[in-house]
Amino acid sequence: MNNRRFKTLTTAVVAVCTLATMFVVSNVQAKKPFSGAEAEDQVNMLMAAVKRGDDLWHNPKLGTNGLACGNCHPDGSASNPHTWPKYQTNLGKVGTLREMINWCISVPMLGKPLAPDSDDMIAMEAYAMYTHRGVAIAPAKDEQHGAVPVVSGPGYPNADSGNR
Amino acid sequence: MRKISRRQFLGVSLKAGAATMFAGMFAPTATSVMGLGGIAHAADKKISPFTFAVLTDAHLYDIPDHKFDAILEKGVADVNSLSPAPDFVLYGGDLGQSGKEAELVKGKKILDKLKMPYKIIPGEHDYYLDMGKAWRGLFGDEHWSFDHNGVHIIGMNSILVDDFWTMAELTPLERMGRMEELECHQCGLWGVHEKQLDWLEKDVKKLSPSTPIMIMTHSPLWDYYPRWNFQTSDAPEIRAILRKFDKVMAIHGHVHQVVYNSIGNINSAGLLSTSWPWPYPPVELPYPDIRMNRVDPGDFEDGLGSHHIAIAKEFDGVVNYRAFSDLLPENVKRGVKL
Repeated sequence: MNNRRFKTLTTAVVAVCTLATMFVVSNVQAKKPFSGAEAEDQVNMLMAAVKRGDDLWHNPKLGTNGLACGNCHPDGSASNPHTWPKYQTNLGKVGTLREMINWCISVPMLGKPLAPDSDDMIAMEAYAMYTHRGVAIAPAKDEQHGAVPVVSGPGYPNADSGNR
Repeated sequence: MRKISRRQFLGVSLKAGAATMFAGMFAPTATSVMGLGGIAHAADKKISPFTFAVLTDAHLYDIPDHKFDAILEKGVADVNSLSPAPDFVLYGGDLGQSGKEAELVKGKKILDKLKMPYKIIPGEHDYYLDMGKAWRGLFGDEHWSFDHNGVHIIGMNSILVDDFWTMAELTPLERMGRMEELECHQCGLWGVHEKQLDWLEKDVKKLSPSTPIMIMTHSPLWDYYPRWNFQTSDAPEIRAILRKFDKVMAIHGHVHQVVYNSIGNINSAGLLSTSWPWPYPPVELPYPDIRMNRVDPGDFEDGLGSHHIAIAKEFDGVVNYRAFSDLLPENVKRGVKL
């Protein structure tokens, strides 16, 4: 066995051992990646929340004067979800997106605020965030942001062909 | 044989590369028109300067003492207080929110407090519960024209869509509900459709190219953000019919914001509502300096207003946005040339 071949063999053995160790270690300390079906389930659950949020966003029943969030915030625009938490003059403090959602429901829409941890509130946030996917998270600036441009449809993957 | 539509004809002409024929038939330039006796036409141009006011997009609900009632009242009072008093008022559509007759009756009652005559066009919110029946009963024709001090003024219904409800078996209430949403998923693009195009063609046929033209539609006559129907699908046909004129001023409701564009001989200005403001859609504005400021959601009058438009001798127009709160940057406050 010449020197060069020996070196190559040694490197290969060391590499295999290292990989084996990593595999054993990772098997002990972390879970396997999600299977395709598992990952799909998770995305479906998120999209169901987005759809629920979309329905609520356009539902005047959250308020009492006929207005829905969508009146002023079509496609989630000007809700600026990627800028929260921030100081908001209407809240008079540094607040969160869900506090602002409740402010809008209570003040311009004259409705009852949602429980902050309710599935409905989480769905509203899911919709607002989804309509801004890909937009950089950044501290608030003195401007209104449009959401992600939408050509047609609800603006997110949705098997339901109905409007609502 | 089915009559060839204007859209098909335009498409065919363009595809065939018959640009010269197209231009000759639909788009005589100012110079070519002058060559055909435009000097005589130019001598016809006589405008006595005047002003008029515009209100739009009140979105009244059938709820007693709704906050939007008071804002429309404020708009009417503002117009009545203008000096010089406007000769007339134009109303740009969406008087009601859900197409109910009660909303339109309430709106008419408020508009009837205007001291000057007004002309009105429908918006989609006025229309899709009964396909405009109540609106027509109260206000008459959906498209019209009249002459004032030398200016030919046109109003058209730009919110017509193809039938999306019959196949889907929607009730009138469901149909209206979908149209009420700006980002309606299945309502399709709005337009004025063939009958009104034929009417427009006849309406302006005998007018000389030097005639000053003012046109009002609910939606813009240019592709701004089709997703929200910030467009009129047959605007290219309208622009082709109006291309023979030296200058056309266009105003439109629906966008609830300050916005401006200029295409060929047409300058367009978007108008403020008296209900709620809309954010700018996620596209670049053609004239980014002509816009309104960020709106304070805690100030229910911010983003709203009325308009006083002045028309001078040589058909120079200025839109004075009269914002009810501190909304306008200095350049827009000074008036937007139309």
